[in-house]
Amino acid sequence: MSPWRTAWTIARRDLSARFKGLRLLLVCLFLGVGALAAIGTLTGAIERELNSRGRTILGGDLEVAVWQRSASADETKAFAEQGKVSGGMRLQAMARAGELAAPIELKAVDANWPLVGKLALKDGRSAGAPPAGEAWLAEGAAERLGVSPGGTIEVGTQKLKVGGIIADEPDRLGEGFTLGPVVIVAADFPARAGLTAPGAMYRSKYRIALPGSRDPQKIAANLKKQFPSAGFEAKTRDRAAPGAERFVARMGDFLVLVGLAALAIAGIGIGGGVASYLEARRTSVATLKVLGATSGDIARIYLLQIGVAALVGSALGLVAGVLVTPLLASALGSLLPVAPGLVFDPGALGRSALYGLLIALVFAAPPLLSARRFPAMALFRARVSPLTQNWRDAALPVGLGIAAIAGLALLTTKAKLVTAWFLGGALALLILLGALGWAIRWLAAHAPRPKRPLLRIALANLHRPGAQTGALVTALGFGLAAFVTLAAIQTSLDANIMARVPQQAPDYFVLDVPREKSAEFQQAVKSVAPQAQVRMVPALRGAILAYGPESAMTRVADLKEIPDTAWPLRGERGLTYAEDVPEGNTVTRGQWWPKGYTGEPLVSIDERLAEALDLKIGDRLTIGLLGVERSARIASLRRIDWDSMGFNYVLVFSPNAIADAPHNLAATINLAKGTERGSLLRALVRAFPSSSVIEVGGVLTQARDLLRQVSLAILAAASVAVLAGIAVLLGAIAAARASRTYDNVILRVLGASRRQLLLLQLAEYALLAALLAGVALVLGSGIAWLVVVQLFEFDWLPDWGEVLAVLGLGLALVIGFALAASLPLLGARPAQALREL
Amino acid sequence: MEILRGIDLAVPQGQTLALLGPSGSGKSSLMAVLSGLERASGGSLSVAGEDFAAMGEDALATARRGRIGVVLQAFHLLPTMTALENVMTPLELAGLPDAHARAEAELTAVGLGERLHHYPAQLSGGEQQRVAIARALAARPSLVFADEPTGNLDAKTGEAIMDLLFARRAEAGATLVVITHDPALAERCERVIALADGRIASDSTA
Repeated sequence: MSPWRTAWTIARRDLSARFKGLRLLLVCLFLGVGALAAIGTLTGAIERELNSRGRTILGGDLEVAVWQRSASADETKAFAEQGKVSGGMRLQAMARAGELAAPIELKAVDANWPLVGKLALKDGRSAGAPPAGEAWLAEGAAERLGVSPGGTIEVGTQKLKVGGIIADEPDRLGEGFTLGPVVIVAADFPARAGLTAPGAMYRSKYRIALPGSRDPQKIAANLKKQFPSAGFEAKTRDRAAPGAERFVARMGDFLVLVGLAALAIAGIGIGGGVASYLEARRTSVATLKVLGATSGDIARIYLLQIGVAALVGSALGLVAGVLVTPLLASALGSLLPVAPGLVFDPGALGRSALYGLLIALVFAAPPLLSARRFPAMALFRARVSPLTQNWRDAALPVGLGIAAIAGLALLTTKAKLVTAWFLGGALALLILLGALGWAIRWLAAHAPRPKRPLLRIALANLHRPGAQTGALVTALGFGLAAFVTLAAIQTSLDANIMARVPQQAPDYFVLDVPREKSAEFQQAVKSVAPQAQVRMVPALRGAILAYGPESAMTRVADLKEIPDTAWPLRGERGLTYAEDVPEGNTVTRGQWWPKGYTGEPLVSIDERLAEALDLKIGDRLTIGLLGVERSARIASLRRIDWDSMGFNYVLVFSPNAIADAPHNLAATINLAKGTERGSLLRALVRAFPSSSVIEVGGVLTQARDLLRQVSLAILAAASVAVLAGIAVLLGAIAAARASRTYDNVILRVLGASRRQLLLLQLAEYALLAALLAGVALVLGSGIAWLVVVQLFEFDWLPDWGEVLAVLGLGLALVIGFALAASLPLLGARPAQALREL
Repeated sequence: MEILRGIDLAVPQGQTLALLGPSGSGKSSLMAVLSGLERASGGSLSVAGEDFAAMGEDALATARRGRIGVVLQAFHLLPTMTALENVMTPLELAGLPDAHARAEAELTAVGLGERLHHYPAQLSGGEQQRVAIARALAARPSLVFADEPTGNLDAKTGEAIMDLLFARRAEAGATLVVITHDPALAERCERVIALADGRIASDSTA
């Protein structure tokens, strides 16, 4: 028989069918591999979906958008030179039908729409742009307006026949966040309905289907270079839904971290599981040696046993990972651009299983190698004369294994930097906890001996030969830190939801109020709601094109990468002008311009943007406004209270800088309590058909729901790491208890009462847990801060009371479990326990 | 610390030898060194023509296979295996083809034919020691070591076990080294060596 077959025969015989002794290993591998499998499957499915459907999602290979105007003849010609073009408009509008009114997103499309895919209607037809005078309505719009196909609605100054209800709009995802259900109309409708008067807030979009394999990114860059002042916002098919993609990438990074954390924590459990299994098998190893087993035989036998357990644990983890993916996807809900059901991704599953097996082998190597090195008689004696660990034997296989895991992690992730940091951080943590374990042992050995015998034994238990202090410190440190992390993340996210979505907000935002009708608008509101407060500001849109000192201005188009803090540089944003400092703003540097100022055009900017771009008072800023470049000198910096949900503009110009550009006004309306809303909405729609009203309540609910979902997703994912932490914690205690069984039985024989033994356990764990609570608090808060602030860019607002309460709960769990684990032993009669040793 | 000092000992094939001496006199250490379970820190040792002193841990394990049988005071059966599997294991490690049949025959010979599939926890102390003897002798070793084989048993069971051990040894023609405190047991051996303080205090042959 070959050595492996012999080893397998003995291993199988020795292996309990219920994996007794190997359950911690099984549970840890199950959790670690399961988490990685679910995460890998989900992120893989999303990425594939975004990549494969990018062209459909975008509605072409390339999309160029401009605000408040249509493309010029030259621009249109340049688009047409690239390939087949479909042009159209997007704007907020109000639709009404009889007495009902609803805010909608008006989507005007030309005859070429959709360039990719087909629009499906509820009645089974597939269609393109609707015929003149007709509209395709999203189900939500039809519901709110109480209309069905054949009915009539009014938008702006025009009537539209409901031609059909939309079942599937191919480019919905690429349109991004909208403030109302979509109504699709023919391209010329907005102009006919009076919705595109100069200054109106609309956006023109041009989708291009490129022939052959031309690179859309390159073409986008060329178009921007060709028309530097046009303020083009370009999207390409490989980044069809940039918002979704950024979120998915960030969530992906986080999920990778959670997976690695779960695996690292599980790895400790796996190591503990293997070590305690081999410890329990020590006498068997010695007996096998007596019977003529070589170190090779021993290694083969136990490698096979651990391998089988690892395979079973990993396989269960893989199954759980696949099954849990739809659950994870539903927890993330509408945050995800796709809804993957049951997905089988062999690559992701293979990687997860490989991680699990590598970790199991790395952690199994040291105890296995030390077991094979010792003579049989030394192994028999090890209970009273512990074996000295020799890490030199294990250094090579462990080093190779860790290098393989790190290599696998780095090669298979897109978030290489995050992963590298995590791997470094995890290693540093392990070393830190190892050093802490050593320090606790040293302190326990050198501390003065307490007079009370129980305390003395408890203290001695921390440092005596064979003490499990090192393993317990690592497991308790990671486990308790996981509790703190979860509590800090959860309370921070909750506080963010409370803080970010204001409880006090205007009831309505109104866009596109003609500037000459300002007084009329105020009057219209007051006539229906006399108590209402109305605030109006000029609303324009433009893109920052260049900034910096006059002699050395930086052009945004030349920037390789835009830092996150300089988000206003991305695309167009809202601009305004004002005589006075806007409400809720404070000038922190420089001077506000005097009333009636007529000198050089000036601008006041957000102090955070100034810091991000290193802008000083006196520097210049160039913007593209309706295709024309305008420059202004920076006169002041402002601190903006972003939490007040009103008009907050990063850039506020002196009136003489931009007031001459065609523009409308935007308004906020705060209603007195109890005001009837429907009549105000109807009155506004009738008097200002080209204006659009946004109901803030609905938007806030959407925002809150979105944040809750983000929070739920983060917590759900982080819980995996905590579960692994709990498993490890309980496993380490169980392993430590097993090594303490002998002592407890002897102490019972020597006359110790059950109460005394329980107190002894309590003293030992309370001592250890108290020492580790502080470490876990610092460690867990640090990790939570990284996740909340650095990764998701939320504010750091943990509720320390709750965090401490959760830490206390963790400590209670540790002590409770330690005591519970001792109970069966304490209940046994000493003679019986002695026989079982 | 030196445990064994100045031991000069030759044991011919087929001899039965008793090692006597008080606790700490070095009996178990001498047996562990002779059977290759421990390595001596100095000196020379030749067992069945092999230079044990020069061999490593693995070479010693291989050398024990099929040639050396060991019976320990605490039995040291593998708790997760049945009586039959316990006896089969060394035969399989030695690569013998008919492990199952041999193990079954050996257990039947020690009177445990009805207890083949019982686990150690389901056997009495005497039965466990019979399994240990069957395990030590199943491969027909030329050398058998027994470390206080009756130390954990009552007098009657102990005597029965020793009868069995001597009978099975005689059938196999093996050399037997027994560590014991029991003068009666020592008297059953052809040669008795008394150890004191790690040295041979007396060496008498019947």
